[in-house]
Amino acid sequence: MLSPLMTLIEVFIYPGVLFIVFISLILEWIDRKVYARAQNRIGPYYVGPHGILQPFADLLKLLAKEDITPDHVEKLEYVLSPILILYLSLVGIFMIPTGAWGDGYSIIYFEGDYLLVLTLATLTTVFIFLSGWSSLNRFGAVGSLRALLLIAGYEIPLFICAAAVILDAQTLCLSKISMIQEERLWFLIKQPIGFLASLISIQAELERIPFDIPEAETEIVAGWLTEFTGRKLALMRLAGDVKLLLFSSLVVTLYLGGPWFMGQANIVIFLVKIIIVAILISIIRALFARFRIDQALSIFWRYIIPLSLIQVIISLFVR
Amino acid sequence: MCSEYIEIPVGPQHPALKEPIRFVFKIDGELVVDVKPRLGYAHRGIEKLAESKNYIQNIYLFERVCGICSAAHTTCYVEAVEKLLGIEVPPRALFLRSIIHELNRIHSHLLWLGILAHEMGFDTLFMYTWRDRELVLDLIELMTGNRVLYAYNLIGGVRYDINFQIENQMRKVLDYLRERTKYYKRIIEEDKLIRARTVDIGVLKKSDAILLGAVGPTARGSGVDMDIRRDDPYAAYNELSFNVVVYKEEDAYAKTMVRVDEILESINIIEDALSKMPNGAVYVKTPLKVPEGEVVSRVEAPRGELLYYIKSNGTERPERVKVRTPTLANIPAVCKMLSQAYIADIPVIVASIDPCIACMDRITFVDVRKGKVYTISSRELREYAIKWYKERRREC
Amino acid sequence: MVKELLRTLIKKPVTRKYPYERREIPERFRGKIVIDYDKCIGCGLCARFCPAIAIKMVFIETSKGKRRKPLVQVYRCIFCGQCALVCPRKAISYSKEFELATYNKEELIVEPRPLKGGDESGSH
Repeated sequence: MLSPLMTLIEVFIYPGVLFIVFISLILEWIDRKVYARAQNRIGPYYVGPHGILQPFADLLKLLAKEDITPDHVEKLEYVLSPILILYLSLVGIFMIPTGAWGDGYSIIYFEGDYLLVLTLATLTTVFIFLSGWSSLNRFGAVGSLRALLLIAGYEIPLFICAAAVILDAQTLCLSKISMIQEERLWFLIKQPIGFLASLISIQAELERIPFDIPEAETEIVAGWLTEFTGRKLALMRLAGDVKLLLFSSLVVTLYLGGPWFMGQANIVIFLVKIIIVAILISIIRALFARFRIDQALSIFWRYIIPLSLIQVIISLFVR
Repeated sequence: MCSEYIEIPVGPQHPALKEPIRFVFKIDGELVVDVKPRLGYAHRGIEKLAESKNYIQNIYLFERVCGICSAAHTTCYVEAVEKLLGIEVPPRALFLRSIIHELNRIHSHLLWLGILAHEMGFDTLFMYTWRDRELVLDLIELMTGNRVLYAYNLIGGVRYDINFQIENQMRKVLDYLRERTKYYKRIIEEDKLIRARTVDIGVLKKSDAILLGAVGPTARGSGVDMDIRRDDPYAAYNELSFNVVVYKEEDAYAKTMVRVDEILESINIIEDALSKMPNGAVYVKTPLKVPEGEVVSRVEAPRGELLYYIKSNGTERPERVKVRTPTLANIPAVCKMLSQAYIADIPVIVASIDPCIACMDRITFVDVRKGKVYTISSRELREYAIKWYKERRREC
Repeated sequence: MVKELLRTLIKKPVTRKYPYERREIPERFRGKIVIDYDKCIGCGLCARFCPAIAIKMVFIETSKGKRRKPLVQVYRCIFCGQCALVCPRKAISYSKEFELATYNKEELIVEPRPLKGGDESGSH
């Protein structure tokens, strides 16, 4: 929107790629600390003050390891998938209003960017499938198939809850949705059922307990991640953290008013809200065991999808 | 892979297994069609080594067959040697032996509960149960000087006596553990997710359990009422009152509940033993040379019936010691449970028999057709294996 | 379960920050072996009964002539306590030392050191 230099700074530094990566690593630290404290442990402690630099250290270590590409894999997909998963998640965040420059708009905004974000998120899962499948490893194959199967569970409620929010806000642009919540009530209060359904679907999209089925460590070694090592693994893990940031900020934008509070749009407000949502997701992660794939799908089709349908019907009448 | 099924190997290194064992599963989508176990990765030659050490050194050798059920192994071995020697152990020592045995059982079952939770992806419960298990280990350290591998049983009694301080500490910790175990029992009964992962999973019918020779909680979870402590009492169990826990549901949930209830029963047994303990010595001196003879001794280890056979020839070294551990008896049962199961249930089913592979590996080849028992040298085994794989590859 | 989890979130963690915090060691603990060479009579029972064959009897020169004393290779020791049980003069006991990892194997030998005026127990 402004001069090319400003756009470059926005895209790459603040609130662009560098900032996003930084915040998502901090979010990983919060996740690990909360998970550990729920289990009476300490979590990361020694690297940096209270272990806050631990995710950075892990990322750097993985980047420094040898990058092996086995002979028998499908080379193109194997090498491209980690890059694409990271890229798609990053682009998704560009459309979330972060309040970076105090104006409540995202880096890119247009009518319909909400649907684009959801589609990009699903595309990452498709590339997850491709990565596991191209590695030609039995465990990778089972993991990727499970990841694809899981889409049939969480994708539908996510889109239905999106429809409920869009009906209420009468706009398809994420920045406008967060602005509208400032004038009226937060959607959390108007659509609590949708909030709940979205939160559970997000747990499945992020492949976290209770839905970490594609990556179930005790069953299939590491699922679709099995054959990845070195820099590719670093990119995959970073993509996982960026996705966590993407979905936390999506929840914040849709239901918690985005970066707005008391008439102000501020990045600090945005970060505080994201941290609260991340803590909530971590607590859910500590609270449950892992579902089996058929049980997970039955939960979605029997409970979550009807709940989100009810939400849409309610929002048709209550404006 | 020349069949239409995908074959998934689990082990010998796999995050689901705590010890090396190899299963090869033939799968069709998510369903397991066939399973072939392969044992022997933890074989250490302990039985042969026992023939070159005297009876007292062997106590410490057999203690290290398994770190988790080490009290059961030493109790069984020591009782066997005492039977051969024909000596009477002072009753106070028998009670102390039972106390350590039951403490060992509590610690083993708490460890197992954590492992089961971990296999289900429920790391929080895993951390909680292992936190409580630390208390048991501290208690054992107070009593014997070490947390694992206690060196407490001796031929002719036990090593240390307990005093009031230890007894009070024990009662405090046991009260706390009782509350915690009741809480875990409530979680397992009420949490829908745990029930979804264990109810109707790994079903072993009562007839199959008896036919395949399952022992311990694996059999008691299928309605088979057997417990060596009641049926063939050893140590002080003929004077202690306790219940044998049997569940009829035949699935992994039943096996879980059997073990949780056994923790509560063990706590009761220890308190009973503390109150009934007679005074007296804790040790009698025994001769080093053991008279000729053969003896079989059984105990109820945390995983089931543990059997020791000792043959002595009148010297201070045994002629032959044979150990039959409960996990070996449960392997055919687990193979039966694994067929027609989902891949996602494999860790839970394997964990539900509480596998202790370190205990299990003693290899002898039995040729059922020729009716012979023989052992092969490693060179012959290698040549045989190469020939076998060459033929198999030609089939494909 | 939820209540317990939320309560645990604010409780202090049970992890001990080893090696900055250490725990108390109970008195029956069996750490590195300690031999009182003055009490030792050189019977050799400890070496005979050691399950790990960690004790060897060696001859050393003392003022009273050649004597047999035990040399313990602590890197083979399994800390079972059998030697202390079987010693007729109760010359063997245990310290509370358990942090025995080292780069130099010779540090882990307990052997008698002959001195001019009598035996001297020593460890490197």
